[in-house]
Formats: sequence, structure tokens, C-alpha cells
Amino acid sequence: MTSPTNREVIAQWRDEPAPLLALLHAFHDRDGFISEAVLRDIAVGLRIPLAELFGTVTFYHHFAREAPGQDAPRVCTGPVCRLQGGLEILEALKDEGATEMPCAGRCDDCVPVLKGHEVFVGKQADTLSVQPSPLPPPYPGDGEECIFAEIRESERRTLTGYQCTGGYEALTRAVTTLTPADVIDTLKESQLAGRGGAGFPTGMKWESVLNAPGEPKTIVCNADEGEPGCFKDRVILDYAPHAVIEGMTLAAYATGATRGFIYLRYEYPETETILEQALAEAEETGLLGDAILGEDFNFHIYIRRGAGAYVCGEEGSLLNSLEGKHPFPRNRPPYPVTHGFEDLPTAVNNVETLAAAVQIIRHGAAWYKNLSYDENLAGTKIISLSGDIQRPGNYEVPFGLPLKTLLYEWAGGATEGREIQAITTAGLSGGFIAGDDLDITIDEPSFQKVGAMLGAAGIMVFDNTRDMLDVARNAMEFFAEESCGKCFPCRIGTHRLTELLSVPLDPNSETLISEIGAVMKATSACGLGTAAPNITDSLIRYF
Amino acid sequence: MKHNMEIDGIEVTFSEGETILEVAQRHEKEIPTLCYDPRLEPFGGCRLCIVELEGARNPVASCTTQATDGMVVRTATDTIEAYRKTLLEMVVSENREVDVSPLRGYAAGELADLRDTYAVNSTRMAGAKSGSNKTEDDNPFILRDYELCISCYRCVRVCAEQEGDHAINVMNRGFHTQITTEFDGLLKDSACTFCGQCIQTCPTGALADKKALRAADEVGDAIPDKTRTICPYCGVGCSVDILTQNEKIVGIHPAMDGPANQGALCVKGQFAYDFVQHSDRLKTPLIRGDDGELHAATWEDALDKAAEGFRQVNAEHGRHSIYGIASGRAPSEAAYLMQKFIRVGFGSNYIDNCSRA
Amino acid sequence: MSNPLVDMQKPEVIFCIGTNMTECHPVAATGLKKAIARGAKLIVADPRRIGLAELSHLYLPLRVGSDTALLLGMAHVIAREGLIDEEFIENRTTGFDEFFEHISQWTPEWAETITGVPARDIETAAMWYGSANKGAIYYTLGITEHICGVENVQSLCNLALMTGNIGREGTGINPMRGQNNIQGAGDSGALPNNYPGFQAVTDPEHQAKFKTEYGREIDLEKGITKVTALELCGDSIHAMLIDGENTLLSDPDREHCEHALRSLEHLVVIDIFLTETAELADIVLPATAWGETDGVCTNTERRVQRMRAAVPPPGQAKPDWWIICQIAQRLGFEGFDFDTPKPVFNELCRVSPIYAGLDWERIDKSEYQWPVPHKEHPGTPRLHEESFVNGRGIFSNVHYRDPAETISDDFPVWLTTGRRLQSYHTRTQTGRAQGIDYLLPEESLEVNPADLETWELTDGEWCKMSSARGSINIKVKATNRSPRGTVFASFSFADVPVNLLTGSGYDPITHTAELKVCPVRLEPL
Repeated sequence: MTSPTNREVIAQWRDEPAPLLALLHAFHDRDGFISEAVLRDIAVGLRIPLAELFGTVTFYHHFAREAPGQDAPRVCTGPVCRLQGGLEILEALKDEGATEMPCAGRCDDCVPVLKGHEVFVGKQADTLSVQPSPLPPPYPGDGEECIFAEIRESERRTLTGYQCTGGYEALTRAVTTLTPADVIDTLKESQLAGRGGAGFPTGMKWESVLNAPGEPKTIVCNADEGEPGCFKDRVILDYAPHAVIEGMTLAAYATGATRGFIYLRYEYPETETILEQALAEAEETGLLGDAILGEDFNFHIYIRRGAGAYVCGEEGSLLNSLEGKHPFPRNRPPYPVTHGFEDLPTAVNNVETLAAAVQIIRHGAAWYKNLSYDENLAGTKIISLSGDIQRPGNYEVPFGLPLKTLLYEWAGGATEGREIQAITTAGLSGGFIAGDDLDITIDEPSFQKVGAMLGAAGIMVFDNTRDMLDVARNAMEFFAEESCGKCFPCRIGTHRLTELLSVPLDPNSETLISEIGAVMKATSACGLGTAAPNITDSLIRYF
Repeated sequence: MKHNMEIDGIEVTFSEGETILEVAQRHEKEIPTLCYDPRLEPFGGCRLCIVELEGARNPVASCTTQATDGMVVRTATDTIEAYRKTLLEMVVSENREVDVSPLRGYAAGELADLRDTYAVNSTRMAGAKSGSNKTEDDNPFILRDYELCISCYRCVRVCAEQEGDHAINVMNRGFHTQITTEFDGLLKDSACTFCGQCIQTCPTGALADKKALRAADEVGDAIPDKTRTICPYCGVGCSVDILTQNEKIVGIHPAMDGPANQGALCVKGQFAYDFVQHSDRLKTPLIRGDDGELHAATWEDALDKAAEGFRQVNAEHGRHSIYGIASGRAPSEAAYLMQKFIRVGFGSNYIDNCSRA
Repeated sequence: MSNPLVDMQKPEVIFCIGTNMTECHPVAATGLKKAIARGAKLIVADPRRIGLAELSHLYLPLRVGSDTALLLGMAHVIAREGLIDEEFIENRTTGFDEFFEHISQWTPEWAETITGVPARDIETAAMWYGSANKGAIYYTLGITEHICGVENVQSLCNLALMTGNIGREGTGINPMRGQNNIQGAGDSGALPNNYPGFQAVTDPEHQAKFKTEYGREIDLEKGITKVTALELCGDSIHAMLIDGENTLLSDPDREHCEHALRSLEHLVVIDIFLTETAELADIVLPATAWGETDGVCTNTERRVQRMRAAVPPPGQAKPDWWIICQIAQRLGFEGFDFDTPKPVFNELCRVSPIYAGLDWERIDKSEYQWPVPHKEHPGTPRLHEESFVNGRGIFSNVHYRDPAETISDDFPVWLTTGRRLQSYHTRTQTGRAQGIDYLLPEESLEVNPADLETWELTDGEWCKMSSARGSINIKVKATNRSPRGTVFASFSFADVPVNLLTGSGYDPITHTAELKVCPVRLEPL
């Protein structure tokens, strides 16, 4: 089979929605890299100025512009993997053209090495093999899970398996017996809030999109799980892809949206295949596409794969990326609910949020609220737990569960003979918690009280053998690498902080670190810049 | 419809769609900016224009935040000014130098001015510098001195929004951001039309007028005199300022308030001015001698001879044997007098201008 | 231009024909680019795939000299599809019924046979322009430099009149003027048919007015055009005063032109350089240049603006107005005793109704677009808002005509000429600006790559290009900007005098030369 010509590839994608990323991946897959000639043809085909296209392509970590390109190994050197063999593997694979990549969302099963469309894992270069991503550990709690309740059932990834465990009950109920307003009311009552970290009430978001003028409306599933130490979306997508499809379709029903995108991070290539299969199944059986469930309800979902840019998890950047623009964050207001994808009303929801919404419509708002241990809070949160801990993995916890219960009882505490020194929160964005402050419950207010954030709820554990200044420096280096470069405080601040953390701290440098951090927190244009100083603030506070 | 808000304790009105910055500037508030060019869409990059907004957790960028009814804004609290000062210290620290020749470009002194206003320097925040110069770009007009670049993207935005050329963009991200063309090449291989807009909007002189800098080598780079006039080329009639030093033209600035161009220019208007003081210029009248060659002459002789020729032809062949062609490039006074010369002098309408070619 | 430059950002549909705006009026083109960025549709009709064509949503690559056919075809579709503005036609125009009858025969299929543009694209263009609430037409010399220049312009007027796309924001018929004061030269009366302010010399009222003003009888009939004057050099024209024009290079048929000027008994040239034209003069008088001269100019949107001197002139150079006055005074003419340009301009304002509200001080800030009929008048950014100058807009039942010369076995290739971004006219100015030759070192002939073999040419090598009037040597540049069978060169370079070849014919009314069409033959050197 001869590979398609540039013209053919472009013709295949140019009239699709959000074509640029898909088109770049098509060439990246065909050639292993994106050549100058290809960029010139795309610029003409999609009517994008060449300089702009070039700039956009250089923004992404993973797009190679020359051989060996896509096939050269990319080794995770994220905060956990670098302590568990990542750096050694990188060194060992140098001859194959290996380069490092930031946390690839496999912290419960390190070290991931990406080659083309395959993820190899192993602790040493010579033991790398392709393995399915880990399921959540058996539920250790005494409460009830929401999203994970049926996820360990075999074949749940298929439509049949999903339907055997109550899949699409919620959508069927909504479409046949509820109005969009009913769906929104139930969600509002459940108090479900964005599980990607921002915590905006989901019902209100959908209501705003429903009421916003302009069509077509769009649902975007934010599956760009780029926060180091976060891998919860991966497990949902890998083992319950239909839950996300059902959640998006519910959102479409509630808001009147007719098109949807799953923006999937580059580092989950196998997940893309799983999602493609699930979408095909859903469309074949009339659960997605035109005339869903025989009703006058049309909704199409397209997968768009990211290319390695942490900031694309920020919704403005994500939308720019989808639109084929330079992925800088957008100025807010206006918000995506009125001016989202192509400046039209758009709901951007995290994977976990969408999966939770399905269970809420299925079991009711009251059921969901009661899952929480804390009566002032509602529902559950999936925690991605990794690092120096006996049983890393994704745990769905009721809000209000003591943090130490999770760390010591559910996950078995630090490895033999060591002690937990500190944890990171919200992946890296929440900074550290250590010492007595670990004696808190798991919920946003409690975390914020000790100067941290729960956020997307990645928790990385560092035991008493770890050099926390080094951990902090690596964390800040990550933020500096991922800073988009649009706003000054973040672009310069992350870099200066990394420099300041590269040498032992002294009172002068601590003052400077605090001053830069304060400016970044107060003036940065998006969450990356405002969160990054949590690392330095907590470092100075605890160590 | 007029709306009301409060800025620094004073009740002010604004119109729908105005940003806080625009309202504040109308009321003569000095809010520092670096990424702001009033001709471009607000960007929100430099964050110097932050203001305190009652009810908001963090300060907001006044350039990107639209004014709304009842807003209470404080533009220069101690906290805000302290943030600005630290931010400026950070910005200054990434650049090779801040004091640059005013001939680099229209806005080249913006960063230096703010540095002085806030009395900051780069010592405390010293660290890696960002940007690397594109020394291999041998074009004669635009210096690409990116060691002075602060990544405000005014050049990228002016090229896209104002000029519509989209010749330059941002390569890489974060601290490694570099403004360049596709494939990081030379401007002449890109969509660049050398209109010079990037030079004129650059607030640090990172993009600079090479011609003006060459002139500065001769006459020094003191602040030049400016004379407002109209571009000598096509019929659009762009307003420009001629920059002069010691009776030498050292450069051109577009007039940002020019009614026909609103700050825009093209390569001819921006760079093709030095024909004026070219050594080929005619400096004396010339008269064709008996040898058939043109020879320098005095005005008296040349004018006498010019007049005498017309008198003779008129006497010999009549008034319809004389024709005048006026210039489309000289001022209207010349054209008016040309037609008057023919009509008053010879009573004919034997006059035209060069518009037929 | 009927509409101001700022209106360029406002149309819904823009129709550009015979204008290479991104190169010739780059700053004006930025307005169109902004309109496109806001969602406006751009239709470009041009034989060459120019920069504007790349920006367009619909590109109509018509054969050189076939504009009238294209525009008739579009008018046909607009009428056929009922996209006419009946109210506008009823209230503001005359002659529509005859016109409607006239265009019924000129189908887009017919237009395709003349222009080479597919009929369905002509239909699309007509539908877009005809359906737009705000449709604007922009054109330049690609419309006027033809023997049928008048018909071309009339055809554009027909389109605007039948759709009511005139007299409102974002509409209009907008020719772009090529030189910074070419508008002002016409305003000032340097025309054989008009006194200052476009007052017709054949109108008894104006005749009386200027008899009084200038203190003598002036011919009651129009003068001859420059083109005719050059034809008559040596026969009835024996002396010329030329101010700042390099006639020899800018006008067609250079041999003829040079012969004409050489046959004069007395030629006085006022210029800033010793141009090819000045070299033929008996007396050359050095003028002050831009940047050295105070004065007034008028731009393409009729905006009257001040030019100011910034530096002293070289040597003994003097302002043009002073030089003309000196000659006039020596001849004993009355009314030339001026010391500064200010009273000259104020006199122009006094005698021109369109400038009546202006004077030297009032134009200081470039605020006024003529007509400004009195001191309280705010100026007129947009023409024809309420009514047309001559009452009603007149439909013209134009017919397509072939160019003066068409391709033949001897001259099988269409040559079309024009300008380039980096050079200006005959390069007397840009040729002397440092750095410009980095961007444009030499002239070359743009040839479609697929045509190279047919004519045995090589990219980058020299070729001989001949027309009925002469031959020149020029370097070949292969580019897809040129369509098959058509080549392009600019007339800017003295060493490649393209105007040796052109000059096949003139528009019978305006005497504008057909510089855009010239059959040629190409041979390798």
C-alpha cells in the first residue's frame, strides 16, 4: 500500500471540524515527523499563514520536525519516574535517540517510554514491555464508589459490557423522560463541580451554555491530563470509555450542543484506539450521531489528540489548540460558555466530571450527595496516588476522608523502613504538604487551609530519603518548560525561580523567591503562573 | 448610552465596549504598559496595567477587562505599584541592555522610560537572558536584535492585525520563546513586505530601523527633530514624520494618528526616503549649449532662456504650439500655477497632467 | 474614490478588479485585509495570480483586456437572479429598462468564451456581489489602461447602480490613485477639459468666471490631451514645459515619445533628477523635492493634506511654484507674484467650489475631504449619498471590444505591464534609496513555468521580447503568478524599457494608453 500524498491527506481532513491537530498527526504518523514541505502544503490547504503554523507546531513538545522523530523513544522523567529509573532508562536509550518527556500519566506503573503509538513500561531499559494500564486497586473503603463502582467488571470497556452494568441508562432516561432543564436541575442539586481542579458547578455551566445565544454549540471533554502525578482520566477512558461518551451526550442533550470533541493528551495513544472503538460502537447502535435513541437529537463526537503541551489543559489554550491557533490562554471574560470553540457557546468538562454526571442522572442527586463523609460537601473525588507509597493507584474517596487514612490504610504507607516526608497536591500545582499538616481531611477547603490545593487530585508521596529542594527545583523546571510565554510574570518568574532553586537557599534568595512568587500569584494570566509559586511557598514553609 | 464607574475615587462615565485602560487613559491616569498598542487587539501579556478591582480576588489586567457599570477601580495602590516594580525588574533582567538609540524605532524607548519611572535595575533579578540575535539576516532595513526582545508580541500582532501579512510568529514557548519567521529563516524568504511596522511598535528596540541606525553612525543618535508631512509615493496619502538631525533626513516614522494610514506604512514610505538627499540631485539649472550638452547655469540665465524660448515659439507658431504637463507628485500649488501659466499666458487649455500613464 | 479609506474595512463583499493593491497601494490593502479578517468575502478578477488573488475567496483569472465581457456577464446574472435594488434604480437612476434589455444577451456562458473564466464562477461572483448589503468595488489602472477603459468603468458603474451599492458606508466605486498628488493635479485644473475644481472649460458660466479671474479670453473648447500633444510634437506643438514627469519611461511607445520630444524647438523640464526626459531638454530647472517643499496634496479619498519641508534643498534647487512664477513673470504674465505657496493655495481654494471652504490654515490637520463648499462644511467623506452630481445615475449599454492588438502568429503572447511593491514608477526615487535593490535588484519577465518549453525559454536566462513597435532584452522568471500565454513586466527599470513595446492604442475618450495589453513574441537569446 502506498502512503497517501500530501494532497490526499489534506483533502481527507480539511473539511472536518477542528482539522489542524488531526492533520498534523496524520502527517506525523505517515512520515514520523512533520516536514517543511508538509507544513507548506498544510498552510495552503487550511489557509493558515505559514509563519503562524510553524510557530504553532513548535509550541508542542511532541511534534518532531525531522527523523527519527516519532519513533525515537520518549522517556518519562516526571517527578515520580525520575526517582524510579526514568533518568537511567533515558541514558540507556540515548543511542536510539531517546529524549525526555514530562510526566506521562503512568505514575502508578512507571516508567513509561513512548515509541510511536505504543507505551512501554518498566523500571529498566531492558525490561520494557507494552502493558495495559493498571485498573484501580480493589476498593479498600467502607463507603460506596461512584465512578469506579463497576469499572473493575470485565469487558466494561465494550458497549455490551458497559450496558450490562447500567451503561446508557442515564442517557436513555434523560432523552425519553427528562427535559434539558430537568437534567440541569438534577446536576445543580447534586452539587457536582468541575473535577479537573477548577471546581466550577457543572449544572450552572451547562445552564449557561443552554441559555447562551449562538449555534452550533459544543461540548469539549478535557482529557488533556497533563498535570504531573495525575492519571485518573486515563483509567476512566481506558476502562469505561462509554461513561465519557454518555456523559458528553448527556451534556449535549442538556445544552443543545450538536458537536463534541475529546481533547486527549498525546501520551495516551492506546486510549485513543479504545475511544475510537467505543465511538464507533455507540454510533452503530444509535446512541450517538444522528437521531440518537430515535429522537430528534443529533450529536457527533470527534477525538482530537494533543501534542504535548501542559498549558492546553487550561481551557482557553485547549480551545485555541482545537481551533488550530497558537495555544496561548485566552483572556477572560468572555468565558467559553458564551465564547468557546469558534467563539460559540461551549461547555468544557473534565473526564471525571462527565463520568460522575452519568451516575448522578442514573442514581439521583441525593444518592450522589450522600457519598460524601462531610455533609457540607457532595460526592467523591478520584485521587491519583503515586510516588514513595506501597500501593500507588487511583482511589475514589468520599470527600471528608482523612488524608492519612488514604495514605496509610488504603495505600499502605511509605515503603518498608521509610517514612512519608511530604506529599504534593493537585499534582504539582498545589505545592507540598508535610508534617502535622498531613492531618487533614480530603477536600478542597481543608487543603486550602494549609496553603495547598486539592485540584485535579494528583498526590505524589516523597519519603524521608528525598531531597525536597531537588524535588522543588524539578517541579519549577517543569512549570518553566511548560509556561506558554504569553504573560511576563509566568514566563520570567518560573525561569528565575528555577535558577534560584538550583543553588542552596539563603535569606536573600528566599526573599526574592517570595517576592517573585507573590507577583506571579497576583498577576499571572492563567492558572499555571498563579499555581507554580505554591511549590516555592510550601518549600520555604516546611523545609 | 453612558455608563458609570469609579476610578481612584472619581466617578467617571464610559461607553459600552471600552476597557478599563481606555477609560482610565481618557481620564489621564498614567497606567504603565508594554504589550499594549492602541491599534491592536488587547493582549494581556505584560500585566503591568493591572489594577485593583473591588470584589476581585486578584488584580485584573486593565487592557483586557471591559468596563462595567458600577466597577470600582484603583489604578495605583501601593500593592499594585510594588507588583509593577517587581515585574519591571524581572523584565529588565532578561535583556542585554535597555538604553537604546531613539532612532531604533517609534516606541523603542518605552521600556527604558518605565525602567526610569520605577527606578529599577537588573542586578537583583540577574539570571539567564532570553532571545538570540538573528545576525545572519542581511536585509538592509530591519535589525533583528532579539537579545532586547521581551516577548510582548506587538510585532507579531501588528504584522497580523494591522498589516495582514502574518510574516512573523512565535517559535517555542516560555522563556525560550523567539519571534521569527517560518522555519526560523530570513525575512526576505518570508511573507515580510518590509513595511517596518514591527520596528515602530517594538517597545525595546529589539527590532530596529537599520537605515536610521546607519544614519546615526554619521550624525549621532540624539533625539531627532520631527516634521509631519505626507508620504511621497502612492495616492493613499499616508501621514509620516520625517526625522532629521542637522539638516539630514535620518528616518521616517509613521504618524500613528494619520487619517489615511492610522500608523501603517509600506516599504516605500518607510524606507525609500533617501532619494531626497542623494548625490544625483540636480543642484543648479542646466542649459543646453552649442555643443549639444547640458551645462550648469545661473538661475537668471536659465529662467531668461526658458522664458525666451516660449516667447519665440509663441511668436513663430502661435499660442497653440505650447503645451504644459503638470506633475502628479509636486504639490497642488505647482499644478495650479502650471495650468494658470498656460491659460493666462496663452489663453489655451493646452495643459494636462501625468494621470494618463 | 467615492468612499473614504476607512470604509475599506466595512464591506461584506469586496470586488477587486484590475488592481494589484497589495503591491501598489499596500496601506490601503491593509483595510481590505481587516475586512476579510472580520468575515468579508473577497472576489478578485485579474489575469495574474497576484497577492490579492491569494487572499481571495473567489478568483476570476480573466484574459487580459476582457473586463467588459466579464462585467456584462455579471450584470446579466444579477438581473436574471433578481438581485437588483429596485428602489434605488427607481429613485436614483435612469435608463435601466434599456439596460435590462441590453444585458439579456450577455450570458455568463458567452462571457466565458471571451474571458476564459468559467461561467459558474462568473455566476458566483455576481451572486455574492448582488446579494451583499454592502458590496464595494475597487479598481486601478488594470481597468483604465485599455482602449476600452471608459467602457470598463461604465460597466462597473452599472453593477453598482443596479444593486444600489453606492452612496453608503462600505460600498462604492473606488479607483485608487497612483501618485501622491495625482488627485490634486486634477483638482487644480491641470486638465485640458477642466478649470480648477473640475469646472468644465466648455461651460459658459465657468468661461465667464475665469475670464474675469485670469483677465483674458481663454479658448472655449477643450484643449488636447498629453497623448495628442505628443503626437503633434514637431507638427503643431513646438514647446513644452514639463514638471516632474519622466514621460519617456512612463509613457507607452518610447521611441515615438523620444522622437516627439526631440522634435520640439523648446523643451523646459523641471525636476529633481536628470531623468531620461530631462536629458532631452533645452533647459533643466532643479526643483526642491519632497521633504524640502511646503505645499498641499490631495489623496485618493479626496483628503486635502499639508506637506511640509523638513530639510533645506541641495544647491540652488527651488520649489516648482517659484520656478513657474519666475518664467511667467519674465514673460510678463499677470498674477504670478507669489512669495510663498500659501497664497497660491488660497487662490486655488477661492476659484474652486470643491475647495471653497478650505484655506492653508484649515487643512493643517488633514481633516477635510472635498467637496467642502463653504467654511462651515465638514467635508464629504462619502460621495453620492443623497444624489449624483449630474442628477441621476446613468446606465451605459456598453459592448465588449477586442484590444487594439490581439495575439497573432507573429506576436502570440499577451504582455501585460504594471508596478511592483518595492519600486515606484520609473525608479527615479526608489532606485536611489539604499536597500531597495536588496529586495528588487532587477526587472524580470514573469512567465508561467509550463510556457517555458513552448517558447524555448530558460528560467533565469535572458530573452528577446518584441512587439510591433520594437524589441527589448529581459531576464525570464518562471512563476505561477503568470497564467499560461500571458507574461508580465513592470516599466520601472530604465535598462529594461518595457514601454518601447507598449502603445498599441488609446481609449478614444480619455486618451489613456492601453498599457495593459500588448501582443509580443518571445525568443531565447
